[in-house]
Amino acid sequence: MTRAAGAEPLVVGLGSPDRGDDGVGPTVAGAIAGLGLAGVRVSAHEDPTDLIHLWEGVDVAVVVDAVMSGHAPGEIVLCEVGRGEGPLPESCWAKTGRGGTHAFGLAAAVELSRALGHLPPRVVLVGIEAASFDHGAPLSPAVEAAVGPAVAQVRAVLTDASAGLDA
Amino acid sequence: MTHKLSDGGQVLHVGMLARVEGEGGMHIEIHNNVVQSVKLNIFEPPRFYEAFLRGRKYTEPPDITARICGICPVAYQTASVEAIEQICGAETTPEIQAMRRLLYCGEWIESHSLHIFMLHAPDFLGFDSVIEMAADYGDVVEMALRLKKAGNDLMTLVGGRAIHPVNVKVGGFYRMPTKLEMLALRPAIASGLEEAFATIKLVSTFDFPEMEQAYEYVALRHPDYYAIERGTVVSTSGTAFPVREFPDHVKEFHVAHSNALHAQLDGAMYMVGPLARYTLNFAQLSERCKAAAKEAGLGETCRNPFKSIIVRAVELAYAFEEALRIIDEWKDGAAPSVTVTPRAGEGCGASEAPRGTIFHRYVLDAEGVIQDAQIVPPTSQNQPAIEADLREAAQSWVDMDDHDLTHRCEHAIRNYDPCISCATHFLDLRVDRS
Repeated sequence: MTRAAGAEPLVVGLGSPDRGDDGVGPTVAGAIAGLGLAGVRVSAHEDPTDLIHLWEGVDVAVVVDAVMSGHAPGEIVLCEVGRGEGPLPESCWAKTGRGGTHAFGLAAAVELSRALGHLPPRVVLVGIEAASFDHGAPLSPAVEAAVGPAVAQVRAVLTDASAGLDA
Repeated sequence: MTHKLSDGGQVLHVGMLARVEGEGGMHIEIHNNVVQSVKLNIFEPPRFYEAFLRGRKYTEPPDITARICGICPVAYQTASVEAIEQICGAETTPEIQAMRRLLYCGEWIESHSLHIFMLHAPDFLGFDSVIEMAADYGDVVEMALRLKKAGNDLMTLVGGRAIHPVNVKVGGFYRMPTKLEMLALRPAIASGLEEAFATIKLVSTFDFPEMEQAYEYVALRHPDYYAIERGTVVSTSGTAFPVREFPDHVKEFHVAHSNALHAQLDGAMYMVGPLARYTLNFAQLSERCKAAAKEAGLGETCRNPFKSIIVRAVELAYAFEEALRIIDEWKDGAAPSVTVTPRAGEGCGASEAPRGTIFHRYVLDAEGVIQDAQIVPPTSQNQPAIEADLREAAQSWVDMDDHDLTHRCEHAIRNYDPCISCATHFLDLRVDRS
């Protein structure tokens, strides 16, 4: 298989390693990096606005982040938020996108990227339901236990993306 | 949201003020077209950082206080290490000071570019946010993101990471970046410099409401350059004193409607921030910055708060110039830090945060354990000036309909780039008319 330049899949772990379960994104990204997958770009970032540059020109991006969606801690939520999915509802990003830059989050980064034409065709959010964001705390047991399954989910997306490109 | 009061008046309510750092509230009462009262309501509980610091080691303030703000952590770190080093009698080297200034340039670049484009420009261009603005001004937003990235990259190189840097210590740094590492950033910094000057031109074309502030401006001044990381306190009334005398002149006090302490200088309201710095230290800007400011329509002083966006753009360009200068002059081999041995005493430090002068005071015992700490961030000091601006704005444009008046008042607040997160959270704007 030959990929177009710049089209290698991107995996980004989003979050602060010093804020309890917010560190799960970087933890999963670190595990993916440790696998040494050929042709996959992996990085960890705290600032969601970094995504706007990171995923420019990428076909498939996987963002791993802690979420609070009402599920049990450690549950994994998958969301497709790429260009192929259409705009996110305004309620998802208006509060943060129109707030201060402290509040600028993933949804606002997605919509700003869309407005600028940077949003990849496929963006998959692998969200891990968090239990705690305490300063300096380690991952909670439920979230720690979800790291392995989250890595498997990321690999599944990458495999699917690779198959799509091969086809 | 607008509704009538029982006395025939009117309430205009905005659930959350947009495009400010953090969250808070505003209440304006208007009776018979006369503004009766204006309150910046900051009702988030205090965050108790000063109390957290008591009992901690003298080495910990740069890491603890950096956590107060994700946008201006370097301001806190720099003021705290300056204060601790003063107590301990530690003299840093010119190289350490240069590196602190380079790190601080990264923070100014990041913070000013964020405020200019993501928070303030939408006011002038008629958008709710940078996201809506990007549809019509994509090139401008792309430039903003490049500028911010240049600041982030500088922070990462010198500070160890872009948010809440970890490379700052009392006495200097854990590690100095190398010349080679700095040169890798140079092209982006050089390109950012030109885009910063383009920013000055761009924002100078905006329409600016007419408004003049008569307040006393306060900023740091350094004998050798436009003050950023250190200096002595000066004001437009001619007051001048060393940072250690800050507590003698600046008194903090509590008002019922704000959980962030207000402040007065020698018993009077004052203002810190870019307008104060520019007005007090214009002569120390580079010739290119001075020329660009004049071309943008600024004089050597600026007292129109709505034009703070131009002043921030001038400071953005200056920060890029300074970053380039430091990178070009840098020679490897300097020790990253000096030894700091704790001793009992009291010390003060101050620096110019993107939003204005920030002051720290610490008391150590002989073992270096913190006995007392005081932090005075710029937004706290500016609360009375923000309220005074709001009073004048609401009165000057009282004939506007509620929607436009609300927007003008929000704009007046955003002129200050208030970082309510530095003290508290949640802002809720409300105008009562009767």
